[in-house]
Amino acid sequence: MLSPHNFVRVAEFVWEIPATYRDDMRVPARLYADEELLNAALTDDSIVQLVNTATLPGIIQHAIAMPDIHQGYGFPIGGVVATRLPHGVISPGGVGYDINCGVRLLVSQATVEEIHPFLEQIASALYANCPSGVGAKGSLRLTNTELDEVLHEGARWMLGKGYARKEDLDHTEEFGRIPGADAAYVSEHAHERGRGQLGTLGAGNHFIEVDRIAEVYDHAIAARLNIYQDNVAVQIHCGSRGLGHQVCEDYVSRFQKTVHDYGITLPDRELVCVPFDSEEGQEYFRAMACAANFAFANRQLLAHLIRQSFEQVLAGKIRDFNLHQVYDIAHNMAKIEEHQVDGHDLRLCVHRKGATRAFGPGSAVLPDDLRDVGQPVLIPGSMGTASYVLTGTTGAMQQTFGSTCHGAGRVMSRAKAKKVVRGTDLRQQLKSRGIVVRAGSMSGLAEEAPAAYKDVSRVVEVVHKAGIAKKIVRLEPIAVIKG
Amino acid sequence: MALRGNLEAAMSSEEVDHTADRAFRIRGRNLAELLENAAHAIVALDGKPPAGECVIQRVIEVEGSDRETLLVNWLNEILYLEQAHHEFYDRFLLSDVNENHLRAQLHGRQLDRSVTSIKAVTFHNLEVKETPEGFEATIVVDV
Repeated sequence: MLSPHNFVRVAEFVWEIPATYRDDMRVPARLYADEELLNAALTDDSIVQLVNTATLPGIIQHAIAMPDIHQGYGFPIGGVVATRLPHGVISPGGVGYDINCGVRLLVSQATVEEIHPFLEQIASALYANCPSGVGAKGSLRLTNTELDEVLHEGARWMLGKGYARKEDLDHTEEFGRIPGADAAYVSEHAHERGRGQLGTLGAGNHFIEVDRIAEVYDHAIAARLNIYQDNVAVQIHCGSRGLGHQVCEDYVSRFQKTVHDYGITLPDRELVCVPFDSEEGQEYFRAMACAANFAFANRQLLAHLIRQSFEQVLAGKIRDFNLHQVYDIAHNMAKIEEHQVDGHDLRLCVHRKGATRAFGPGSAVLPDDLRDVGQPVLIPGSMGTASYVLTGTTGAMQQTFGSTCHGAGRVMSRAKAKKVVRGTDLRQQLKSRGIVVRAGSMSGLAEEAPAAYKDVSRVVEVVHKAGIAKKIVRLEPIAVIKG
Repeated sequence: MALRGNLEAAMSSEEVDHTADRAFRIRGRNLAELLENAAHAIVALDGKPPAGECVIQRVIEVEGSDRETLLVNWLNEILYLEQAHHEFYDRFLLSDVNENHLRAQLHGRQLDRSVTSIKAVTFHNLEVKETPEGFEATIVVDV
């Protein structure tokens, strides 16, 4: 059983388990946390899962966990692992089933005061226009050819259909399209599951939230992002739906045998992996890129439906209801990136599972208008609490392969949350605080109760003080839409 | 080919605490029974859909490189069929079961939309163990 005594404190918010802790570790494991979050991480198998990731062939420097770490399957949620290319491994379980689950943030120049009289109508329009819940079907009916175009083109496909603006793509990670996607490596099962789901939210912890800009910490950068105190913002949290789940299933299952062909021994079968430059590694990467592109397209279509909903309710009632995209980030992905490690420029496969890319100022992959600011980082909190916009930092580039946290992090199981919280009570509590809720399932609402999560503000404070992201603004919810 | 009640099958599984997802310990007197009980545990996660006659029947064959892979592939195939075809199954008749292959009849109902909230069944720490009473496995499900 791990305890705080197994860690060496290497910086104020960085705790390290040396590689000597277990014979199969190839590198040390590092956790970003304060003492309370460290103790919280020790209450379940999160840290064992972190140590397990330190055994992956080709891993360099450290296996890393963010302060929102919690127990997952294989990797912990909140984990970052970089492997050196070309021979380091890629692990489908290290990306997870919801490939390119992520967050998009839109902001308006309208104030909360202006839209407040119409908030109930806005929530109802969002719930009606953005299909949510398990098995929700979208309004787009794609032919096989069109679906493959989406898998190859991502959010860019939406530009030609009138569902995207060029500035949306400029402000999306990878500009809305992961290169290298090839639908020939996506199974028929995956195509089948995804075909009707484009433009749908799904269930679980996915949501659309209307927010108020509650506090601005850095006015200059916030203004560069078009974010101002008391204005309205909208967050979308969702991913690649059944298509992504099936891609991950297909390759995790197939690699159960392949991993032995490469002589790789692992402490957990969910960690199965293959060398990135192997035929199998390339096939998974091409399929994963397709699922990631599907997720970018999915959030793009939802953004379009949200803009339509605002127009439907607010046209002729308030002057400016336009929603401008701040950014769109992925938090479940394996990316090919260049990083400087010990003075050398290396090409790496960076797995982020429940972690966000946080590239600092000057990064060549950022759009021109954000290059001096750093990449916007979007951190959704638990329902009814707060969310944050941060920016990437030079510190993240130096310490964490340009990565930071992704949310609050669970501390209570879904089953327990449903025992201690009633969905109807929670909806009433949120209502009494002025938060409008539209939810398809009261038990689903209870599962996502704020009590089931860590304090997102504490998590954000750790990454800010550790220098792996910079706090810009805080958002507070005024309407929540869930499946 | 044996048909057992849903109640009996449900009693052969118990939920295990997991912070973010769902986990179940499944038992069976033999591998076929473990596979059948696991199927009942998975479909029970989404609660009971609206009642109706058993109007859907499918016959499927599933393969796996070992019994753990067979178990995961079997459960994920059920989830795929439920999602892709908007169906719900409540009877599973298994035959020709060995460590690498199974054949099964799925009986259930057509729904107007899929009801499963499960993303996937994982291999996390999965081991199908032989016990004095038969077989046992703990399955972690991504939800």
